[in-house]
Amino acid sequence: MSDVKTHSIDISAMQRSQQALRIENETVCLSVNDLHLYYGEKEALKGVNMIIPEKKVTAFIGPSGCGKSTLLRCFNRMNDLVDGCRITGEINLRDENIYAKGTDVAELRRRVGMVFQKPNPFPKSIYENVAYGLRIQGINKKRLLDETVEWALRSAALWDEVKDRLHESALGMSGGQQQRLVIARTVAVKPEVLLLDEPASALDPISTLKIEELIHELKNEFTIAIVTHNMQQAARVSDYTAFMYMGDLIEFGDTNTLFTNPSKQQTEDYITGRYG
Amino acid sequence: MKMKKKSVSEWVKSGDPWVWLNAGAVAISVIMVVGLLLLIAVRGLGHFWPADVVETHYALPGDSAYNLVAERVESVEVPAAQLREAGIDIPDQHQLMQRTLMKTGNRDVYGSDFRWVIDEYLTDTKRPEMLFTAERREWGNLYGYLKAVKEDGNIISETTDLTPTESALATWNTFEKSIERAAVIFDEIHEIEKKDIGKINYALERIRLEQRRLELEGKLTPAASADLATERGQYDEEYKGLQQSLIDLYAQINRDTFIVQVMDGTEHEMPVAKIVHAFRPNSMNIAQKMSFYFTKLWEFLSDEPREANTEGGVFPAIFGTVMMVLLMTVIVTPFGVIAAVYLREYASQGWVTRIIRIAVNNLAGVPSIVYGVFGLGFFIYFLGSGIDQAFFPEALPSPTFGTGGLMWASITLALLTVPVVIVATEEGLSRIPRNVREGSLALGATKFETLWRVVLPMASPAIMTGVILAVARAAGEVAPLMLVGVVKLAPSLPLDGNYPYIHLDQKFMHLGFHIYDVGFQSPNVEAARPLVYATALLLVIVIALLNLSAVTIRNHLREKYKSLEM
Repeated sequence: MSDVKTHSIDISAMQRSQQALRIENETVCLSVNDLHLYYGEKEALKGVNMIIPEKKVTAFIGPSGCGKSTLLRCFNRMNDLVDGCRITGEINLRDENIYAKGTDVAELRRRVGMVFQKPNPFPKSIYENVAYGLRIQGINKKRLLDETVEWALRSAALWDEVKDRLHESALGMSGGQQQRLVIARTVAVKPEVLLLDEPASALDPISTLKIEELIHELKNEFTIAIVTHNMQQAARVSDYTAFMYMGDLIEFGDTNTLFTNPSKQQTEDYITGRYG
Repeated sequence: MKMKKKSVSEWVKSGDPWVWLNAGAVAISVIMVVGLLLLIAVRGLGHFWPADVVETHYALPGDSAYNLVAERVESVEVPAAQLREAGIDIPDQHQLMQRTLMKTGNRDVYGSDFRWVIDEYLTDTKRPEMLFTAERREWGNLYGYLKAVKEDGNIISETTDLTPTESALATWNTFEKSIERAAVIFDEIHEIEKKDIGKINYALERIRLEQRRLELEGKLTPAASADLATERGQYDEEYKGLQQSLIDLYAQINRDTFIVQVMDGTEHEMPVAKIVHAFRPNSMNIAQKMSFYFTKLWEFLSDEPREANTEGGVFPAIFGTVMMVLLMTVIVTPFGVIAAVYLREYASQGWVTRIIRIAVNNLAGVPSIVYGVFGLGFFIYFLGSGIDQAFFPEALPSPTFGTGGLMWASITLALLTVPVVIVATEEGLSRIPRNVREGSLALGATKFETLWRVVLPMASPAIMTGVILAVARAAGEVAPLMLVGVVKLAPSLPLDGNYPYIHLDQKFMHLGFHIYDVGFQSPNVEAARPLVYATALLLVIVIALLNLSAVTIRNHLREKYKSLEM
């Protein structure tokens, strides 16, 4: 249980361990230019400009309905599925505008993987869940699949728990295991960016902790963007934090600074719990 | 009084009346269904029981007495006045009289199988052990005493006794052996006629069509003509051989005859070959009767019908029903699923899709005979004759697909049931959680891949529900089938050993139509009535089995994809 205790926010420890990060020095993975998003008449994102740095964890915080999930879903064009959703502006992955005409959306989503709030394993075996993305790409060689599945499950810290029951249904796993399975499934296709949409909000504290540890591991290989309701979690896992409010990006900077010395009054009000 | 009123209103408030109302409605439904099944089961299954045969004297007041040998069928109470009106002189003290329907059989001798008698005037009723019942291939049952068995016109065993003496039993044994022998020969004849000659006929027809086709294409060279002629010659030769063996077999089967004494005391000579079963019900114990009963039941399931469907089995009808339903399922499932996928997943959800959906729902309510008319007009007369002209010109003017058949019947029923499958599939698709679809899309799957690998498997239980409903509806449908391919008696099954093995153009028999035919088109209504019940029961069982297998598949799928309930 002592693990759980360390979850309380510990700004001083953060300050000690982290050098102040400077966004200007980072390699840009994704850049967002003047992004507006409309659901019908309603404007849900009102001109967002920011970058997601390479191989770092970027957290999005803000009150419910502020547009943080919507923004995250723009990165892999998941909003295309929503009826009446319209987007202006651009998002560049490396140097390609993902909203340009002729973009292969399936290919984009392979490069920008996403993990959802609720674990959503397919009603297949554990093995087939992880192999799904590879099979979609037409990879059917058993050895290659075996290797990748093992690697992905190890990356998601799940291998030891499931290695003996790879061919059992994924639906028999606990919620936390399912969520790590979903992460493994996403990691298996080796995306460049990992989008995590409140990945731990449906989980118990221990599972949450495991997911957070996992995020620490994964940032060595992937660029990660995470949406969370939990400010402590954002402080714990992220290098950079964006605070959003009512469709606007209010403040974006390194996590350390944003939590200890926010430059905007709204940010300070939110992180000190005055509203939200 | 006030007290009571309050308690009533409290009782209403407590919700108990609703529970009672619901339970009552359920109880009534259950009682009706069980009652229906019991009625048809009792009436239908009783038919196969080897009933006792009675010998009795019957004399209406003022008439002379006569001997009556018959099976009791059923009894009813009738007012005496009604009988008096019918001209029977009944004493005044009677108000109600018991009237019984007796099956006397021997239609060839008396002209009818059944007669009504008034129980009051039956005297001296006995159940003699030597009295026998014989089921015949023609003319219905025979009741009487065996007097002699002849071989080639010479008596080989005879008896004068009507009681189970040694000589009577010896004659009976000879008779049974003779029947067995005839049955074996009969099977051989049947085999040759149906299988071998059927095959030759099929081949000859093929040669005729081939010749006609060459003729139509202007390619009938003398060489080709000669080839076909030699081929035909071979079959003709083969046919002659079979014909000869048939003649021999017929000579053998007609070797034996027997002499029977019927109830009016006259003696008749009949060929043994006409007997299917002969048994002495009065001498059988319960175990023998049971075994006989199950033999008869099995015959009913596995044999072909005889005597304008009033005797024998219903196997071709079972086969036709199952075959048609399976074919219908094979057609309706992909069509329904594809239509539902398009409507739910691809079409933009505007007023057009809404109208289509309403139209589809309404299609399910169109009377089935309308589909029959459509099937006849569009599929058979338009498509069928088109197919005939394009692919089977050599068979014209006799139609191949331009007439009712298995394929058109299945397609018509598929059309009839496709709305059910569409609605059920759409329902299933709409219940697939959005996050599972997104999960697949987020891994780089296209919409089609997501549908094919994740959504459709998860929707498969719902699809199966649609198929179950479709099967239930299609298997019970009769009206449209009468227009598109069902017949009273099909000469052969739509599946046999002749290429292409499954004959989609053939007409077929169907249990539902069989019920109608036996019940209402039969020349011998009294004899056929139990078969109506038995066939009805069988139809219910066949539908239940078809459904049960579909339900099993669905439950299996449900177990596999149970995340839906999460």
